[in-house]
Amino acid sequence: MMEYFLLLISAVFVNNVVLAQYLGQCPYLGCSKEKGVSIGMGAAVIFVMILATPITWLIQYKVLVPLGLDYLQTIMFILVIAALVQLVEMFLKKAVPPLYSSLGIFLPLITTNCAVLGVAIVVQRESFDLGTSTYYAFATGLGFMLALILLASIRERLEISRLPLSMKGVPAALVLAGIMSMSFMAFAGMI
Amino acid sequence: MASMWKEFSKGLWAEIPPFRLMLGLCPTLAVTKSANNGLGMGLAVIFVLALSNAVISLIRNIIPKKVRIACYIAIAASLVVAVELLMQAYTYPLYQQLGIFVPLIVVNCIILGRAEAFAGKNPVHLSIADGLGMGIGFTMSLTFLGALREVLGYGTLFGHGLFGPDFHPVHFMVEAPGAFVSLGLILAGMNLLSIRKALRRGENPADNPMPGCESCRGCAMGRD
Amino acid sequence: MLTSVLTLLALGFIASVVLAVASRVFYVEEDPRVEAIAEVLPGANCGGCGFAGCDAYAAAVIQDSAVSAGLCCAGGPEVAAKVADLAGKAAGNAEPQISFRRCVKDQGKVQKKFEYQGLPSCAAAAQVENGADACKFSCLGFGDCVKACGFGAMYIENDLVQIDPDKCVACGACINVCPNAILEMIPRRARVQVFCSTKDKMKDVMNVCEAGCINCGKCVKKCPAGVISQAEGNIHIDHAACLAYGPDCEEACVDACPRNILRMMCHKGAAVKADAAAAAAAAKAAETPQANA
Repeated sequence: MMEYFLLLISAVFVNNVVLAQYLGQCPYLGCSKEKGVSIGMGAAVIFVMILATPITWLIQYKVLVPLGLDYLQTIMFILVIAALVQLVEMFLKKAVPPLYSSLGIFLPLITTNCAVLGVAIVVQRESFDLGTSTYYAFATGLGFMLALILLASIRERLEISRLPLSMKGVPAALVLAGIMSMSFMAFAGMI
Repeated sequence: MASMWKEFSKGLWAEIPPFRLMLGLCPTLAVTKSANNGLGMGLAVIFVLALSNAVISLIRNIIPKKVRIACYIAIAASLVVAVELLMQAYTYPLYQQLGIFVPLIVVNCIILGRAEAFAGKNPVHLSIADGLGMGIGFTMSLTFLGALREVLGYGTLFGHGLFGPDFHPVHFMVEAPGAFVSLGLILAGMNLLSIRKALRRGENPADNPMPGCESCRGCAMGRD
Repeated sequence: MLTSVLTLLALGFIASVVLAVASRVFYVEEDPRVEAIAEVLPGANCGGCGFAGCDAYAAAVIQDSAVSAGLCCAGGPEVAAKVADLAGKAAGNAEPQISFRRCVKDQGKVQKKFEYQGLPSCAAAAQVENGADACKFSCLGFGDCVKACGFGAMYIENDLVQIDPDKCVACGACINVCPNAILEMIPRRARVQVFCSTKDKMKDVMNVCEAGCINCGKCVKKCPAGVISQAEGNIHIDHAACLAYGPDCEEACVDACPRNILRMMCHKGAAVKADAAAAAAAAKAAETPQANA
């Protein structure tokens, strides 16, 4: 049990997907101007990660490894993720229209979100089992959402404060991310 | 020829990624612990970008519009697998250093961004020029950022010691926060330059907003 | 070699089959006309039609027979005609409108109560004693409306917002952001308009602004068509009814106004009554008076 708790802390805080592993910078900087948008994006990322990680895990261990085709990992994974995202989009549109209208616009963006592919590859490199992989994907997504919402909240307040013109926008967001990254690193003491 | 030079040279300064166009920020932050890593990553990206631009430009008229993103991804992914195998064969230590960021070149928005914004609309020779220019600009940026962080963080450049034993390296620079802060400050510096330039020309700098993530066009993907 | 090619092909095949099946199974009945209309619309998502963006309006036009095809003011009659064509409706008359600023504080020399040095935004400035101007119905001049305008049709000049009639598409995005509510949507053909939006009493206005409306109500009484009212505390002109009545009244309201706050729309610059009369004559000759902001 303790093991799982530590994995959660590690994935959400210490090895935060954005702030320590540098993954998913584009949505992190692009979708963090408003809190509402950041919550939607974060939820969509968690959703897709939880689906994509077990499926790619199965492909890796049931198809690629038996056939000795490990080197096709990258291309297989990205194709599966792209198809999966499309499928999820269609399914949500039909089955859960309210969810589609709130998450739908973020789904196409997720295909090219390197955090999703990144987690799928990381769990292979760490040789997690299926259950742990899914759990790790959930925790990573949670960390992504947390970082995104925090940054969006800070940036909303930053909008109305005086900043040098050259720092406005992305530069300020990056420096903020640096400071947040420093504070997230402090959780390393817990493990 | 002149138009090729134009497309090539814009990637070197005027639209240099990732400092001007916010493209490919993930590897920019992740692999720039040293100048060597930055250079290696940059070379891999040049290879993939120039070839993917060429291929996409060649078949741009046969790809149906609805599935073009999937096609772009498939092309980029095949090239990335090739790069992975090449690096495993010839530069294994570098491959280990760059870690998961080699396979992640697939979803690096610099590849898809250029495919969508340029190669999908322009003839082959211009697309190759654009890919090479953007790739070299990306390599220069990564090497510069890597060198900066390496000099301050380890006191070395391309692995060679620069200072005497009295030098106390600033470890902050090679940790994650250092990556964010130094990239943020470089972007601010680039903005400052363009603001100065606008002021000298007598324009209002606020009329030319700083490039944001819009330039990647990733957000426009998947909706036609 | 062969296995890798086959595996990739198989995966590609499975993925495409699954997607093809899914697109059948999860097919959502969508009227193709909705997409066609969404393409015709400008896509600025300004909300001027009263729906949450262009796509929402496109869906509403198809689904609800009561929704007019001529609501897109940004696109104008051209778009309205196309939408009407696609939706199989009559193109309601999209009377071209324009945003209008009901304040001429530069002509009335409104005094400042104090020097405001807070956040440069109208919303913030209005929180402090209703703004720095002695009149609480004046243009605050920080340009919240400029920021709201998605078409670059507004700009600030001498602390007063100006509207570029060539760029304004009457989406109405600016109307609600003005904390003093001095912006109003009027038809571009509007003949007369009150250039002040104050709801204050006669004496209070007299004290602070020479170009302020003193709400004397003379225009209300003089209008033969009865389209001018004072219901909401300030003078309000029902432009549709005014245009319908036509020029037979010879702009009785303009003549009645003792402070020349109610003016011909074609009249520009500082107000002198003789000018207004001349402009009125010119306007009648041209028959296409244009809005000036």
